Amino acid sequence: MQVHRSTSRRISFALAAVTALALVGTSIPANAFSPRSEVGVSGSTIKLGITVPLTGAAAPGYNKVPYAMKAYFDYVNANGGVNGRKIQLVIKDDAYSPSLAKSATNDLILKDKVFALVGTLGTANNEATTKFVNDHKVPRLFINTGFSGFANTKKYPTTFPLFPSYAMEAKIMGKYIADNFPGKKVALIYQDDDFGADALKGFAAAGTTLVAKIPYASASQSDPTVVGKWITTIVGAQADVAIMFGVSSATAAALGGAYKAGLAGKIQWILGSVGSDPTTIKALAPTAVPLLNGAIAASFLPSPADTSDEYVAQFREINAKYNNNAVFDNNVLVGMNTGMLAVQALRAAGKNLTRASLMAAISAKGASWSSAAFSPILYSGTSHVGYAGYWFGRLSASGDSTPVDGAGKYVLYTTDSGSGAVVKSAIKRPAMPEKGLPNN
Amino acid sequence: MKTSFSKRVALLGAATLISISVSALPTVAQAAAPQCTPPAAVVSCQGVTSDGAPYVMQVPGNFNGTAFIFSHGYRYNVDIPAAMPLIGGYKVTNTPQPGPLLAGNDTSVMKYMLSKGYAIFGSGFARQGWNADSGVATDVELINTFKTQFPTTKKIVAWGESLGGFMTQALAEKHPELVDASASLCVETGSIEASLNVAGDFLWGIKTFFDPTIKGGNYSAGAAGYAEAMGDLGKVFTVMGKLQKGIGIELATGKPQWPDTTPATITGSALAGIPSRSALLLVGLMAGIPTQSAHFDGTTGPGSVNSSTYTGFALAGSPALAILENGVQSAALGVLVTYDVEQQAGGAIFDNTKTDYTSRVASDAQVFNAGLSGATATGGLLAYVAASPRAAASPAALTKMRALLSHTGKINVPTIMMNSVNDAVAQGGNIEWVSQKYAAQYEAQKVANLKAGKPRGPINFLPVYVAPPAHYTKFDATGLPVTSTPAVSGTGHCNFTLKQYTTVVDLLASAATAGKFPQMGPVKSAIRKMGAIYDPNYEPDLLKFYQDQQG
Repeated sequence: MQVHRSTSRRISFALAAVTALALVGTSIPANAFSPRSEVGVSGSTIKLGITVPLTGAAAPGYNKVPYAMKAYFDYVNANGGVNGRKIQLVIKDDAYSPSLAKSATNDLILKDKVFALVGTLGTANNEATTKFVNDHKVPRLFINTGFSGFANTKKYPTTFPLFPSYAMEAKIMGKYIADNFPGKKVALIYQDDDFGADALKGFAAAGTTLVAKIPYASASQSDPTVVGKWITTIVGAQADVAIMFGVSSATAAALGGAYKAGLAGKIQWILGSVGSDPTTIKALAPTAVPLLNGAIAASFLPSPADTSDEYVAQFREINAKYNNNAVFDNNVLVGMNTGMLAVQALRAAGKNLTRASLMAAISAKGASWSSAAFSPILYSGTSHVGYAGYWFGRLSASGDSTPVDGAGKYVLYTTDSGSGAVVKSAIKRPAMPEKGLPNN
Repeated sequence: MKTSFSKRVALLGAATLISISVSALPTVAQAAAPQCTPPAAVVSCQGVTSDGAPYVMQVPGNFNGTAFIFSHGYRYNVDIPAAMPLIGGYKVTNTPQPGPLLAGNDTSVMKYMLSKGYAIFGSGFARQGWNADSGVATDVELINTFKTQFPTTKKIVAWGESLGGFMTQALAEKHPELVDASASLCVETGSIEASLNVAGDFLWGIKTFFDPTIKGGNYSAGAAGYAEAMGDLGKVFTVMGKLQKGIGIELATGKPQWPDTTPATITGSALAGIPSRSALLLVGLMAGIPTQSAHFDGTTGPGSVNSSTYTGFALAGSPALAILENGVQSAALGVLVTYDVEQQAGGAIFDNTKTDYTSRVASDAQVFNAGLSGATATGGLLAYVAASPRAAASPAALTKMRALLSHTGKINVPTIMMNSVNDAVAQGGNIEWVSQKYAAQYEAQKVANLKAGKPRGPINFLPVYVAPPAHYTKFDATGLPVTSTPAVSGTGHCNFTLKQYTTVVDLLASAATAGKFPQMGPVKSAIRKMGAIYDPNYEPDLLKFYQDQQG
């Protein structure tokens, strides 16, 4: 496969060269001997691509991520771009379908000829496109999934995960539960794929005893009978604490089902980071709001409502001017934060931007870049692990999250995806660059 | 939910030809000189090759010197009882076919070719079934007969569909002196073993999960074997019909519905709590059957695009229904081609004793998590697969099968290969197998040429794929999928448009004359305009058989 692609490219280049040589007789263009430009990079532009659900049941909430990212790029472009180049973001809808993600990614790489992918969303969708991305050596930056396997540099050599892994999250959550809910019966609802496998691994590492493990197939949360079984199982297990380890549409289904079953106020809900987006939950299940209020959720970014946070404040400003002042929630924050990291990566790769130089820059310098997350970034020459920590907040009925411990202060827990200990970490976050414009 | 199966299944074996009659032709193994009509707008000739293959030649009055020899696709080599669903009543035929037919036996492609001054000719071959060895010999003789009959012939273009495409590639590999350009459409490549593995894996999966009384191969010799194969065919169609009905109920109620022929090891275990659609999808993934079919795109659901019903059907229901629709073709061929080749090889030819199905679907299990009902269900189904008895081939029969004509993948003349990406019978991976070999060939040729101070040499191989649109599943007012419409382009077997055929014809004629394809710009433009993909960077997955070999 590899031979075919590289040879085929050389075939194309050979033809181009032959054609060009035939024209050389009378005049030689000034740029005839300049270095070949990288795919998706011109003298004035850098083209990036993202696949994300813009339609479908998973769209509410997630569909805000790419536009927030684009808004941040527009802001940077308005301030000179990256090394004189303006960033273009090509956004493709995958409706959260792996099949559509494959065709959309093919189009981004073959038709749109993007330089790199950034922020592509979903475990299954990123898995579905991996072979094509690998074969074409396209950098896939800061993907929107926490499956720990994506940090495997042999299997995903061009992929740079950003989120702390689900295994880390579960282990940290297990520690938090042990510290704060000792002796309580804990049930777990989890998406029955790599996402959930990571969760089981993390809870096992934390030594969490689960009175009920409730797997569900991706997308089956749309089936009321499936959700009904979740609730009856939780009730049957007499759980005091219910952990929801799935996407936000599943959380909406679970909380809606629990409300219907009269469980409001009777069970403490703890929500995983990607399943706690209040925009999505409230849109899909308005009846879930009473249970959302008081639920505990893990996060690695600051609360979007925390305007005292310098990152949140700056991104809100950009959002107001470049993103039609969209409701500033976690999705907007993720999009802008990802955009800011992408800009730093592009800057660090230098003026002679190539896919190889971009990935080398992330490995060499990514750990030092500015980012809204309280967690350190762990990129290095041997690691594609991004963030590694979470804090816990309590949600209000409006969906705002405030830190649950430390007297209103963020308390970060860090760990790894393996058997390492969970530790409370001091938060040492690089300062927001002046006006939110990276200067690395 | 009602799903009518594609009528194209019947067309696989029921090729008939325009208005040319061959009823008066001798069919003995003795060559008969062409008998031609008097000079006219189109001269038609008929004859029989030395091995008994009837043929036709059609030469227009404005013959420009380029003649196309066509090799038709697989036709069953046994009659099918009338009572058989979908393909019942088929009679073995060797009616000659000088060009491809559009749906409804439309001869527009051949009319176009004649109007452009190209001659067309082809045979019906002496025997049906898997006949690549004898078919290539027939084509060689026929080319020489044509050139003798029409000495103004300057260029010969070989082309064919499906098995005929297989023969065409073999012909160009073995006899480049006879062929100036070639096209293999909806083609299987490599060996019969590779293609049979797809159907064999699927058939084994259907047997294992849904009806253990299906024999699935190792058929007896003679009449007993024919009866066994027909029995299997009937059982396969029957169980697929039950699955169709059951999946409809599953999607409507959420309650698993396994066929009543399902083994007790499933119905008496926790596996019975898994929807049968998930087992069917798994079987399709194990075999490498496309998860998009003529009417199911795996991306569209009923109702509002933002509804959970839409997403649920698209992710959980549609891929299984696509496997069902594609699988009917694959399973039918699995029975009939296995029977055919076993009779030639003298014993069982399908062997999955060493196949690691769990490894095969490792990535797909994540991608199709919803359709497979989650990792726990998938693990249970795969454990059942691992514990199920495997099919073992006869070593002697395997040796004989492997001695049948196969490809080297070498490209000797300008060659086009074109497949639909969701062809249930001839997957895109067939072309990728040749692409990989051609890449190595081109690299070696380039190095040698440069060393000799010559130009690198032209690109002589165009891999072309026809892909469907992102969304094409239609639903009626009640939300049920519509399956009565023609197969969408990019799905089905040998489902090409007139524009696609005629573009291929024109590219081949040009390449035959020039000895190479035109510059890539015009080629890419022409292929894009016919609704297909030519991009060396587009690489479909290899057949599972070859993936296993690569590890």
